[in-house]
Amino acid sequence: MKKVLAGGLLVFVLLLAVVAAGCIGGGEQTGTQTSATVTETKVKTETKVETQVQEKVFVRFAGWSAGETEMKNYEKMIKAFEEQNPNIGIKYEVITQMFHENILASYGAGVAPDVFYVDSAWAPIFIDKGALYPISDLADQSFIDQFYPFLLEPFMKDGKLYGLPKDWSMLALFYNKKLFEQAGLTRPPETWEELEEYAKIIADKTGKPGLAIYLGGFNRYVPVAVSNGAPKPWFEKPEDASWFDNPVVKETLTWYIDLYRKGKIERENQGLTPYVVQPSDVGAGWLGDAFGQQEVGMVISGNWMIPFLADQFPDFKYGEDWDIAPVPAGKEGRVTMVYTVILGINAKTEHPQEAWKFVKFLLGPEGQKELVVKGGQTLPSIKGFENDPDMWPQHKKTLSFKYDKMIVFLWGPKSGPIESKFSDAMAAAMRGEMSADEAIEVMKQVVQEELSS
Amino acid sequence: MFSSFSSFYEKSRNKEIVAGLTLISIAVILNLVFGYFAMFFAFYLSFFKWDYIGEMQFVGLQNFEIVIRDLIRGLHGAPYLLVPFYTGLKNILLYTLIVVPIQTFLAIVLASFANQKIRGQQFFKVSYFLPATTSSVIVALIFIWLFMKNGYINYVLTHVIPGFEPVDWINNKDYLLFAIATVAIWGTSGHFMVSFLAAMQAIPREIYEAAMLDGAGPIRRFFFITIPMLRPMVVYVVVMGLIGALQMFDLAWIMAGANGGPGGAGYTVALDIYNEAFTRIRPGVAAAKSWFLFAIIFTTTYLFQKKYGRAMR
Repeated sequence: MKKVLAGGLLVFVLLLAVVAAGCIGGGEQTGTQTSATVTETKVKTETKVETQVQEKVFVRFAGWSAGETEMKNYEKMIKAFEEQNPNIGIKYEVITQMFHENILASYGAGVAPDVFYVDSAWAPIFIDKGALYPISDLADQSFIDQFYPFLLEPFMKDGKLYGLPKDWSMLALFYNKKLFEQAGLTRPPETWEELEEYAKIIADKTGKPGLAIYLGGFNRYVPVAVSNGAPKPWFEKPEDASWFDNPVVKETLTWYIDLYRKGKIERENQGLTPYVVQPSDVGAGWLGDAFGQQEVGMVISGNWMIPFLADQFPDFKYGEDWDIAPVPAGKEGRVTMVYTVILGINAKTEHPQEAWKFVKFLLGPEGQKELVVKGGQTLPSIKGFENDPDMWPQHKKTLSFKYDKMIVFLWGPKSGPIESKFSDAMAAAMRGEMSADEAIEVMKQVVQEELSS
Repeated sequence: MFSSFSSFYEKSRNKEIVAGLTLISIAVILNLVFGYFAMFFAFYLSFFKWDYIGEMQFVGLQNFEIVIRDLIRGLHGAPYLLVPFYTGLKNILLYTLIVVPIQTFLAIVLASFANQKIRGQQFFKVSYFLPATTSSVIVALIFIWLFMKNGYINYVLTHVIPGFEPVDWINNKDYLLFAIATVAIWGTSGHFMVSFLAAMQAIPREIYEAAMLDGAGPIRRFFFITIPMLRPMVVYVVVMGLIGALQMFDLAWIMAGANGGPGGAGYTVALDIYNEAFTRIRPGVAAAKSWFLFAIIFTTTYLFQKKYGRAMR
């Protein structure tokens, strides 16, 4: 052991000696007359280049990609922006996986980008730690007023606004018209009970499962609870775990978990076609895939599914083969979930004005017209596009639905980690590894633990 | 820098030493920065609470306390979602117990086959070694496809074993870890086979010849000459296997997912360290957990080395 240590030390010392000797050697070399002048001119040209660089400011912009079209659209916009603002350069960086984790790690290393996406569920972590530049310090009130107010709410703290949403999506019911016809159904289901009933009818009449859901997925369950009269979940301190003691929450959660237990596991044990499945049960990767392959009658999913269907399943046509309807209603009304992403500006950025100029360009009416309305990925976050002729008809229809409540995906300061653990507990209960009551107990403990420190 | 260095090199008396040290210095520097610096920074970090954005906050041994509490609660039978470290540790120990003996045994068997003078053995050597050259992510993805409920493995099993019911290997908590272990064994035994093959070819022929004169058959020769002569290599392979198995991350990440799949059956300590650092944003706790993992790997390999590693000399 000692020998190894001594050997290691020797290598290290020798290494330092080599490096040091190299430096000393370098000093001797430049001492000669000719090379001194060479270095001098070199230094001069270098400083020249530097001043040129300083005139042009570079802003780093990081996003994830919802597909190649989105990336291409952004590249097009960046080009247009750089033409309008020759003194600002944009470096577009696409991080495909673990986006927020990557951004956090880059904060730790001190190399965070100047402008980046932040999902609503992750926003509190960034806002609470002072990582985001307050947008309200940069933007005019008139610019902010163009946005839907309910989309801004989650990004407010102490009277300051920390981000403007680049777009948004909401949940809606997607249903397969052909399968509905075969099953003798004429209209989409109105209530949660009807949804389950319809799923059963479709399975019995067509031999294909009526409804596909995710195992877990707390955010898909929340509209069920709130539409039946539960308050909106909010977990800020350990005592907030009491949300789960609400009888409505317990009852609806048990119903949601039983959807899969009754619809799939029990039905298969009886030798019948399951009426509720998860995407992998029909050989699909996610809900959009299962719906597009026409393996299931209904799914509840967001606007991001629309460009995917148009792109991947061109023969499966909106209006003729499938349609959208509002999310089913509960006893106390109709509720949907809203998902949104902001373009955050790094609080430590060296060029807040230039970054804001870029963000303003992307988020303003012209930018959203290009990126969101024409691109057709999602819904525009500023008002006034409802009747735009370029708006995709599917998106126009989702915007026309009337909801009593729209809940932005955000459960308090630790939404991301909490959501993931809740979903695991729900998935375990749906698979039958624990009872619904046990899952609720686990979720309560998760809240207490995540928020106690 | 380079020109000055080359002149230094020209002037130096012992050119070989300078060249040698320069060449190894790249590896040494990389190791110092990404190995030792990262290690000591992790140790430092394990006493702090941090969220990457704000200031680091000294919390003493609190992070270690969190890990120990997790272990104690796990031993008392808390549900797996609440005791991630305990779950990961339990899984990874079982996984190591399955993988290491089988992969070592298989590697010896494969090596002794490859060591025969049979026509076309080169083909088998290559085909056994090939998995070691493939990215583990790709391997995992292919095996997910093979292990699917209507996949190839179930297809073969239902045709070979009468009355066999197809198993959903990946989505069943009773089989997931075994499925991952199978992939690991398939992927690594070819690699270790090459180590054994090298060691076998270093065994002097005279020993075999002497044994043959004494009337020892091939099986006795294998057990009484080959295996004892391979002992140092077995120790090496087992130690490397132990380290690899206890740190397993990639296969679980792909086959089970970041949360360990159904029932947390594919959750590993390395996954937990990742989740702790980047999903729950507690890098201090993650660092404490990695020191626990380090301690476990260090003691197991140390004990193993001590018991078997020196016996030859």
